Amino acid sequence: MSLRDLLKGFSALSWLTPKVCRPLPLVFFQFREVLKANNQALELIADMGEKLSGDYLFDLRYVESTVEEMIAAMLRAITAINTLTQYRCVALNEIFAPMEARVRAILNKRDDRDGPPLLWLSEVETRHWPLVGGKAAHLSELLHNPKVRVPEGFVITTRLFHDLLDLNGIRPEFDRFEQMLSDHLPDEERLDELRCLLRENVLRAEPPPGFLDMLAEYLQRLAAGGEAPLFLAVRSSAQEEDMDFSFAGQFHSELQVPPQAEAVYFAYRQVAASLFGAKAILYRRQVFPEGGTMSIAACCQRMIPAQASGIIYSVDPMEPGSQRIVVVGALGQGQAVVEGQVPTDFFRISKTEPQRIVERVIAAKHEALLPTGGVDGGLALEAVPNGQVEAPCLDEQTLLELAGVAIHLETFFKRPQDIEWTVDPQGVLYILQSRPLLITESTREKPLLSEKLEGYELISSDAGRVAQQGIGAGPAYRVETLADLKNFPEGAVLISHRDSSQFVQVMQRAAAIITEVGTPASHMATLCRELRVPCLVGVPDILARIVPGEEITVDAEDRRIYRGRVVELLTYQATTTMDLHMAPEFRMLRRILREVSRLNLVDPLMQEFRAEGCKTFHDVLRFIHETAVLELVELGRDDRCLPGGLARRLDLPIQAGILAIDIGGGIAPDAPPDQIPFSAITSIPFRAILQGMLFPGAWHQETMPVSFKYMMHSMMTTPQDTLSGQYTGHNIAIISETYVNLCFRFGYHFNIVDAFCHDVERDNHIYFRFLGGATDIAKRSRRATLIATILEAFDFSVRTRGDLVIARTGNLIQSEMERTLDILGRLIGFTRQLDVQMTDDQAVARYAEAFLMGDYGVVNDNR
Amino acid sequence: MSETNTRLLVVDDEPIVGKRLKQVFGKIGFEIETYTDSSAALAAMAAKSFDIVITDLKMEGIDGIEVLKRVRVMNPETRVIIITGYASADTAELAEQQGVFAFLAKPFRLDELKQVIQRAIEAPRVKE
Repeated sequence: MSLRDLLKGFSALSWLTPKVCRPLPLVFFQFREVLKANNQALELIADMGEKLSGDYLFDLRYVESTVEEMIAAMLRAITAINTLTQYRCVALNEIFAPMEARVRAILNKRDDRDGPPLLWLSEVETRHWPLVGGKAAHLSELLHNPKVRVPEGFVITTRLFHDLLDLNGIRPEFDRFEQMLSDHLPDEERLDELRCLLRENVLRAEPPPGFLDMLAEYLQRLAAGGEAPLFLAVRSSAQEEDMDFSFAGQFHSELQVPPQAEAVYFAYRQVAASLFGAKAILYRRQVFPEGGTMSIAACCQRMIPAQASGIIYSVDPMEPGSQRIVVVGALGQGQAVVEGQVPTDFFRISKTEPQRIVERVIAAKHEALLPTGGVDGGLALEAVPNGQVEAPCLDEQTLLELAGVAIHLETFFKRPQDIEWTVDPQGVLYILQSRPLLITESTREKPLLSEKLEGYELISSDAGRVAQQGIGAGPAYRVETLADLKNFPEGAVLISHRDSSQFVQVMQRAAAIITEVGTPASHMATLCRELRVPCLVGVPDILARIVPGEEITVDAEDRRIYRGRVVELLTYQATTTMDLHMAPEFRMLRRILREVSRLNLVDPLMQEFRAEGCKTFHDVLRFIHETAVLELVELGRDDRCLPGGLARRLDLPIQAGILAIDIGGGIAPDAPPDQIPFSAITSIPFRAILQGMLFPGAWHQETMPVSFKYMMHSMMTTPQDTLSGQYTGHNIAIISETYVNLCFRFGYHFNIVDAFCHDVERDNHIYFRFLGGATDIAKRSRRATLIATILEAFDFSVRTRGDLVIARTGNLIQSEMERTLDILGRLIGFTRQLDVQMTDDQAVARYAEAFLMGDYGVVNDNR
Repeated sequence: MSETNTRLLVVDDEPIVGKRLKQVFGKIGFEIETYTDSSAALAAMAAKSFDIVITDLKMEGIDGIEVLKRVRVMNPETRVIIITGYASADTAELAEQQGVFAFLAKPFRLDELKQVIQRAIEAPRVKE
């Protein structure tokens, strides 16, 4: 009995369940249908995302019609994947339904009504933003930021606000009031009557049954999680607050609230009623002259016993171009600072490294806002002991720490920030709030901007496309491999040859991003818009013109890149870009895109990559695409499903023994029926792989000496992988003009390359899988590590487990795809029998180095 | 582009349009006035001449075609660009007949508008 027969017999055991085989061209057709529907949806998402870049003018009608088209495309994509997978993805329908409902709620402006009445700040996700309001949304983002400490707490959401309106019969008046606000010239007297009525009714509103018990539970948990005594700060968090408009001081806050449910609910009603305060309504009508609905949530956080508190501006509002930070502070609680009740210390700190205090004006601080000390809470102004009156409220070290946080938050939120801080008696710094800093500059200076810019050296102009509008400056940091991201400095400009969704890791630290290739429709561009990172893509040869480390300024509005720090542009940005996002069109589109375009399932090799892990439309589409790819990967694996008659042998200069099955356009029509020469291969991805395999020296013809012991070992200890027993059969390539599924069964190991490649980069993928070998597990694992190392160097996302390697890449332009597939071809040849030589761990680095240097002959040298 | 001293007037009943264009064209040195009310815009045009007028099509009161007609009468040198989310072949043809310089469908890229304006600046003037 030959070894092959032996293996066949062995493998037959795993084939107990019969499988229905579908014709290959049908499966491939269904795959293309999935891609088509997926692309329609993705293009609409990308189109909407691009509108948000600020580079377009659009209206509400556009938003409404595009959302309808997008939902229809999503449903088509879900149907298509179910056809391809023979209804293994029916769960997607149930997963998608609530997503669709949420988007429709946004269109109908009802997205602040559904959800829990209470939410822990730490559990707030982007989809909760309309429920928790702007301030709490920002705070929840900060809570996940390891560089910032935020007092813990929870949110009484807008759901409760709407419940109060409904349960207490206030809804009709509320609706009438909102309607009047959007009228062109409302009856002012009637409007004010309604306002007062609503305010009084909210102050008297009864809570929904069970709410106070639930609130008591939250308070208990909060008390249990920290030091006694617990008091709370109950602050307003209105829908638009801190997002686009400061609403600074417009709504009510209650501080030092005792931790009883009744007391917190009482404080909450005060906060909610302030939505109908006279000055808040006045302000609202000024910033939203066109009207629009608004509701209010309240953020309930643990009070920090404050040694000192105040405000820090990441940009000096008096001199926005000066590269200085301004700090004001006083002893005790910060409420006294923001309401101007006490004199404050004033500091200016230079923003450039190393930061230092350049100015300090210390006030005589005779009073501080402090807790009264009673169980009922409350704060009062109290005398400061004599020794502390003239002393600075913060020491130098804390000031510099604070400055570091301000610089970080400015990069994090991509705008100058107005930050409320407090320091506890132990000197621990807390951030209570961070919102965009509004700076007004005299408008007379603005027309001169273009003249001022003439003094700066332009590195590039009118090149590339805007992925996200904005202006950013910082030292250029070049990213060549994903490993470079680990050391990405705070506030740097990321420059790279190609774009990658992996850049998301550093986006919140990046001032801007520039790439030489890429499109505004890529995953990276979407992420840039979401995180508002100014970004230019497709700027040719820019890497050659920028020295890493040198300061550059990116104007991703007028597509210009300047050498040096263009202070005038940064000032312009700080003083003018605020109003861009205020229009109702932008606000609605942004909310919709939050539900739609964020990508949580970034890496298909991670465990969360399941249908249940999908949170957005984009996740669903990504999941569908990867599922479709895996369905294709399966195509060539089951030998018995392959139509024997269609397989044609290749006539290659190397002994690779490949049979090709052409399902459309993969082989030239005038090719011979058998023994197909390389020149007749018209499949783009297959041709690229073969080219690599045929590269001089890459394919090793000689057989490696393998002992019988190793051979038996590899047969008897097949890894815990579904591939067990499939090492036999032919080397099969299923090909079309744009597709290849290549399965190598080299006797001892199994290797799949599945690739789709054409001129739409979004469709392109490469899936690589390698398993097994003829030697012991240590050597096989070393070869797996070697392959993984090499693939990682070529930007693959890689997972290894023992001797199994799974690697993926995609979303590359056609030429990059072909280059990568060529490399894979060489790698297949290079590592084919290399496990025999992997005698020690150093061999991994040695061979990886040799391969990357193009020294393929090293395999023969070491024999 | 000889932006400096090019006088631009924008009229669109959606405030976002004027605000955006003011930001974009103000930054690169245009002299720009924006209006959400077409009769106010026409009053401004009667008071001084503009090189380029950008108008929405569908507006309450005086619509874009009417703005175009009146501008052509007031100052034939002024180039008129119509922007609209409701572009139909009929209105486009009507606008052509009335001497519109360009017709742009919303949503559009600000770069596209910049290019149209660039062409408007460079286009030879009609000698009356």
